[in-house]
Amino acid sequence: MRETLTPRERFGLLVIDEKPDRCNIIPLVTSHAAEIARMKLKKYYTNGEAMARAQIAAIEEYGHDAISIFSEVGIIAEAMGSDFDYPDDDLPVIKRPALTKKNIEDIKIPVPKRDKRLPVYLEAIGYAYQSLGDKVPILAYVPAPFTTGMMLSDPKTFLIQTIRDPDHIKKIMEKSLQAAIEFCYDIIDAGALPIIVDPLASSSVVSPKAYKNFALPYERALIDFLHRYDLDIILHICGNTEPILDLLLETGADLVSLDQVDLSLAIEKLSKRMRIIGNFDTSKIAFSSPEEIMEEVKNMVKRGIKSKKGYIASTGCEVPIKTPPENVRTFINAAKEVGWYWE
Amino acid sequence: MFEDLKPKKINLTEWSHQFRKISDQIIKKYKYYGNQDWGIYLSPPATFMVYGARQLKRLKFDNSFAALRLWGFVFNESERLFRAKQVGKKVIATMGDLGTIPVIVMSFPDCIPFYPECIWWTPFFNESFILLDMATKLGAPEPACFSRAALAAFYKKAYFPKPDLMFASTGASCDDYSCIMQLIEGLGYNPIWIEIPFRRKSRSYFVADDYEHTKWGIDYPKRFETYLMSEYEKVWQNMVEFTDINNRNYLAKSIKNANRLRKLVENIKKLSYEAELAPFPGLELMVIEFGNLYGYADFDEWTDIIEMVYATISERVQKGEGVLNPDALPIAWVTPSPDPYLLNLVEDLGCRIVATEYVINQALVEIEEDIEPFQALARSFLNASLIGSTEQRVRRIIEGVEHGRISGVLITNMLGCSHCAMETRLIQQMLSKVPVLSIDVPAPFGITEQLKSRIAAFVETIRCARR
Repeated sequence: MRETLTPRERFGLLVIDEKPDRCNIIPLVTSHAAEIARMKLKKYYTNGEAMARAQIAAIEEYGHDAISIFSEVGIIAEAMGSDFDYPDDDLPVIKRPALTKKNIEDIKIPVPKRDKRLPVYLEAIGYAYQSLGDKVPILAYVPAPFTTGMMLSDPKTFLIQTIRDPDHIKKIMEKSLQAAIEFCYDIIDAGALPIIVDPLASSSVVSPKAYKNFALPYERALIDFLHRYDLDIILHICGNTEPILDLLLETGADLVSLDQVDLSLAIEKLSKRMRIIGNFDTSKIAFSSPEEIMEEVKNMVKRGIKSKKGYIASTGCEVPIKTPPENVRTFINAAKEVGWYWE
Repeated sequence: MFEDLKPKKINLTEWSHQFRKISDQIIKKYKYYGNQDWGIYLSPPATFMVYGARQLKRLKFDNSFAALRLWGFVFNESERLFRAKQVGKKVIATMGDLGTIPVIVMSFPDCIPFYPECIWWTPFFNESFILLDMATKLGAPEPACFSRAALAAFYKKAYFPKPDLMFASTGASCDDYSCIMQLIEGLGYNPIWIEIPFRRKSRSYFVADDYEHTKWGIDYPKRFETYLMSEYEKVWQNMVEFTDINNRNYLAKSIKNANRLRKLVENIKKLSYEAELAPFPGLELMVIEFGNLYGYADFDEWTDIIEMVYATISERVQKGEGVLNPDALPIAWVTPSPDPYLLNLVEDLGCRIVATEYVINQALVEIEEDIEPFQALARSFLNASLIGSTEQRVRRIIEGVEHGRISGVLITNMLGCSHCAMETRLIQQMLSKVPVLSIDVPAPFGITEQLKSRIAAFVETIRCARR
């Protein structure tokens, strides 16, 4: 079947509840792009132009449907004062959380055009937008307040405080929310669609109750802010989210990106109100044979395109950095083979 | 809203900053057909940039709340059309006649007219060759004007929904677009063809004809009026068959609605062009003028916006406030530019647009309400500048020059647009009393320093001539 639309046209139809020629295919090709561009990871996440060039190289290599501006979820926490190490061949590693040095009251809302690596993202967006923005949507991943909050603290202490000192956690959440809003504000002005990522709010990490009390209200607030712009907002939570599927509807997200969830169950529960994104197992894309990937992706996409409000064929989480390119190509080819809506 | 701000042109980032001051309640007030789950009309330019309108990063916009409503509404048209179909409204493509057939279509409940050819702005707003390249592949290469983008849009089905019914005007309409419409038919669409007569001027040779003249004083053979009425009857009958509704009272109401907007726009143009200081930017005024064609697919909402624009402009004129330098040079603009940036650029270089000939006169003139509706529509259409002589076309500009209101004339030509090729030289000859600059609108993202220098030199020539 011949493709009629560009990725941007395809995404544009999806978000107004129209069926495009085929489903959007957006595996979460983030830092894996540095591999495709044969670039050291440190360069990828510390240099905006390099990040954009790697993403463009990945688009040219794979022909998927969006650029993903992202390296890791600590980026806002870093700009708020958490210290990170930058290994040459790995993603940044948290060294000292901000709240081990300062009180929450003393932490400042970062200025995205100035502080730490937030400008790297903005530069990457600008470069990618200028290069491919008419053809391909640019997605910029923004850590949700809960995830940022945990990156500001020692995670163990943070989780204990959700029980012992919820007011303190809410103060952290409020500040993280403000920081995320400021970042989104500049992301939009640079030309990218913010995608909210909240991996540490996963049921693999916290209970549904903790999610409901501490993560969801701030995801919702951030999404409400973005809805003022009439933007269609993607929420991504990795890991297991089956226990909170019903709660996801309360976030107000327009598209939800899922990881370790039964896709049919997610479609049943969410697809009347949300477009579903997902959810190929990332360990399989890294380690399975192309033949296995071909078959399983086809099965997934055949189920996915039945989703009422629309579907994006994707991986459940980021494509692992060292994934063989052949496997990613296979994923995309499989989805292209069976993901058609138009005759 | 924003009443305390001094009127000026601001960029996208400044608009985003200003947008943050707007309350959620006000934003939620502007929804498509009142549906809370859908998009909103009141979005800042940044929203549309995120969805691919790349030129917005470079453009400047008026800073009023009315302008925010205007831009949010105009850029939402594509989604609005899809949403209209989703709620069961009928989307009717009206092509080529520019302004009259929509008045008939709007007489039928839940029928929404739109002009696919207005997508000629999209490659420029997006700074993209996607539509133009696809049009080339489909058989409409560069020798056709930028309206060929519509051919690609019909093929891609991603810019507007498949129309439920299509009317296509040929004859004395834009000949390039006539060719495009034929190619669209070849894609499997079934337009109903309407013919527009050429409004010849030479009374002396055609002695068998009785002549009438329009409200704007343009002569035409009486039988053209009769002919157009029969074409409009054809449109009506097709709409009746399509909707199973036949109520001519609705047509009278539709004419009243069209006139309400036309009067408003006439007042806006008069106020804006005659005020001592320019109260509104030329780009927004062009968008307003084109809104008369079909209200950007929601006529009532558009009229409401235009009322707010009118109030804003009136207030600015009353206060003696403007958005351009007081010494901006008054010029006329002949032929609409598909590249919006050119209007910004010309103002930035020191001009102020005080007269326009955008080839849509027929949509600007009031429709008579005290005669038979089809006759009234025919008589209003016969003011069209595209269907007559070049002299008739620029008569009003010449009058403006002679009254000293216009100090220079800028003509924007399109590569491939046949009437541009014919007319530009003639217009230049007719306008010998003031500096005239004729420029070819380059392809998207193609405005060069050389072109900027030419416009700057034109501005300087006007300034010298005025001294």
